[in-house]
Amino acid sequence: MSIHKDIPPPELKKDRGSLHPINHMKDSIMNLLTSFGFEIVEGPEIETEEFNFDMLNIKKSHPARQMHDTFYIEKKSNLLRTHTSPVQIRGMLQKKPPLAFISGGKVYRKDDDATHLPMFHQVEGIYVDEVVSFAQLKDLIYKIIYSLFGSDIELRFRPSYFPFTEPSAEVDILSKEGKWLEILGCGLVNPIVLENCNIDSTKYSGLAFGLGIERIAMLKHGVTDIRDFYKSNLDFLNQFK
Amino acid sequence: MKIAYSHLAQSILEKPTIEQISDSLFQLGHEHEIDGSIFDIEFTPNRGDCLSLDGLLRDLAVFYTVEFNRDIYTEKLDDFLIDFENLSKSICPKISFLKLEIEEIPEVYKNTLNNYFKELSLNRNNFFTDVSNYLSYETGQPTHCYDAGKITGKLLFHEMENDKEFETLLDTKINLTGKNSVFSLNNEVINLAGVVGGKSTSCSKDTKVVIVECAFFQPEAIIGKSVKYDIQSEASHKFERGVDPECHDQVLRRFINIVNEHSNIKNMSIFSYNSLENSTHQIPINVKKINQVIGIDVSKEKYTNYLTKLGFVFEGEFVKVPSFRSDVKTQNDLAEEIARVIGYDNIPRVEINIPKSEKLNHKAIEKKLKYFLLDNGFYEVINPPFVSLNSDKSIKVDNPLDSNRKFLRTNITNSLLDNLLFNERRQKDSIKLFEISDIYSSNGGIHKKRKLSLIASGRVGLDYINFSKKVNLKYISSLFKQIFPEEVFDFKILSRDSLDTKIKNEIIALEVDIDQFSNDILAYKEISSPPKNFNQYRPISDLPSSFKDISFSLNDYSKMKDLQDLLLNYKSNIVKDVFVFDYFSNEKTEQIKIGFRFVFQSKKITLTAAEIDVVYNEIINKTLRIEGITIPGMQETP
Repeated sequence: MSIHKDIPPPELKKDRGSLHPINHMKDSIMNLLTSFGFEIVEGPEIETEEFNFDMLNIKKSHPARQMHDTFYIEKKSNLLRTHTSPVQIRGMLQKKPPLAFISGGKVYRKDDDATHLPMFHQVEGIYVDEVVSFAQLKDLIYKIIYSLFGSDIELRFRPSYFPFTEPSAEVDILSKEGKWLEILGCGLVNPIVLENCNIDSTKYSGLAFGLGIERIAMLKHGVTDIRDFYKSNLDFLNQFK
Repeated sequence: MKIAYSHLAQSILEKPTIEQISDSLFQLGHEHEIDGSIFDIEFTPNRGDCLSLDGLLRDLAVFYTVEFNRDIYTEKLDDFLIDFENLSKSICPKISFLKLEIEEIPEVYKNTLNNYFKELSLNRNNFFTDVSNYLSYETGQPTHCYDAGKITGKLLFHEMENDKEFETLLDTKINLTGKNSVFSLNNEVINLAGVVGGKSTSCSKDTKVVIVECAFFQPEAIIGKSVKYDIQSEASHKFERGVDPECHDQVLRRFINIVNEHSNIKNMSIFSYNSLENSTHQIPINVKKINQVIGIDVSKEKYTNYLTKLGFVFEGEFVKVPSFRSDVKTQNDLAEEIARVIGYDNIPRVEINIPKSEKLNHKAIEKKLKYFLLDNGFYEVINPPFVSLNSDKSIKVDNPLDSNRKFLRTNITNSLLDNLLFNERRQKDSIKLFEISDIYSSNGGIHKKRKLSLIASGRVGLDYINFSKKVNLKYISSLFKQIFPEEVFDFKILSRDSLDTKIKNEIIALEVDIDQFSNDILAYKEISSPPKNFNQYRPISDLPSSFKDISFSLNDYSKMKDLQDLLLNYKSNIVKDVFVFDYFSNEKTEQIKIGFRFVFQSKKITLTAAEIDVVYNEIINKTLRIEGITIPGMQETP
């Protein structure tokens, strides 16, 4: 009697690798947004002050432009983009409305402590059309957050300030522990920004939003130290298969 | 900014509770924490006008009935003949100096002044400085007090470009460099405008004659100075965000009133300079536009009512913006005011339908490459671009975080090599990593290349087929050959000579431009799929791990399952991982050899051999209870 034919050999557990959790989160959000109708645009990480600040109505005197907040390179001729918003500017200069863009990727700020890294990731979106309202922006944000955190999550909108949106809002979600956590920033595109991109602000209006990927990945995966994402420790990475 | 609840409540007729005010603040966009009965509020940078008790009350007035009741001195004031010249009118278009002489310095503070120090638990300084600080809290307008006896000569306001040492009234010495707006006296800097006053002319506990400076500085001239010179300055915080240019007379008259409550004033006189043109801004009334922006239907009556309560004045076809609201310029700004009053959370959603764009297969090659690598056990990593080493093509960071991060990397391989060594130090013996990133270099301009880099070393895999195979050039190149039969890749064997490691495994690396890959990859059928759920992360241990292998011999094939069930699911807080690293089935002898590797690691302590043995022996004892299983080479204990 040959028994072994009935007994399978041990399961061959081929060691598959995993996507980096930040890239996976970024791709998931980008996929969600493309399903809403947004188109992906790409832009460089090395930017000019014009695209990173001026075109976005961030005045020369704005604190973010100081050397202690922004990395400048090659004798201040360029900078490392501090947000993905300049990609939207490049997109708006190339295409006429109606337009709906998203861009995602690495951004840089001169920070380095337990909760801030000099490099992190953002996804931003912009939609410009005739008569885009704050009420529609709210609808879009609800859809995004419900998709990410489930439709029983509680969220709130707070008035905030960004030079490139007006009105501006920050959105918080209520954690399981009953704490409000800031999750994204959004607003209606400041008409000054539309005009900077040769879009007639009397005819068109737009909405814009931006999310920090690390923040969302930390919440979704329960990672408590942002620095863990960038240690490249296999014990960490192999948990995200 | 810290504002006492009691100070707010004093001026609000409805006497709301601390929680009610807290809710109102959130609705208005003023994030805050509550410490006892003090609000610690973080105002957004556009709302410099709220950086005071009265400023915040002006905003709260949209929900409550606010009565300020600020008594001011209303009599005519004599002219103060100060020897002053303003050499930089564009930076300081408006300035006043008030000279006051008091009979005696008060010992005890009364009324609002006393209440301010008590409620906010603040330390007193000297009388005039204390009044100045209180007024900055009440009105938002910083004032600076000079000891009049120390102002001997011509006072100049100017923008200075030469370097100069300056001793502040905080007893620190700073070296002024670059452009600075200053007040100077006899060629000495006595005040870094809008930031901090100088020691040489500051008031003391004995000062009876004071010159109070009340100015408007262009925010651009003040921004960044307090950070540059590392000075904690509430004044600069306010000037940077813009103060009300129209408040000087009111503030100085309030100053007189408070001083007068404490001491007899012997003399008082005022000097005012103003080159500021009428700064009032007006916006056409357009309710329809506001409703379009917000997506609601607010009546003109409500629109008028809300804005009036916020201090806006209606004149004909226009809304006049109050002088303290330099942030309001457009219809969208007005829309934000209306939306705040309604409450962002009370604005109903209106369904959005974005026209669908043509879907492009974005980065298709890159995605396929990633899955090809995942299928072969490679892990994706992301590294920051900052490095200490440079090549002649490196881009230099002007203001790096430190000298180890002065340049942008010109390759990914070096980052991956660091990642490899990091994991080898953590007892990993099968390491395969990759990264895809834009890489920038400088070569007569800035150049961008999107690159894929990979590195591999150690065991091909931890499964029993690949456990004993080592990664080498042949292995990696044959992987690529399957997918890209026609393409030649420049795989490299990295030398370990200069590396701080005793491990000998060959390191294979590849770095290649993404656009070098042909469309062949698009035909690749991936095995891996993106994770369906967002796994809950289990914190990892950074303590050393070690392993022990156990090999079993089985004659009864049916026991295979029992053995695997027992060992692969073995629960212990020091067993980090267990897997089958060896398997051999001899058909002739009908015997199976199966080897398990146990990896031990604690989250709390560095394990000793004895601690590991306790668990190891327990494992062995449990397995030996299964009939027909032996451990070759192991003496059976009676």
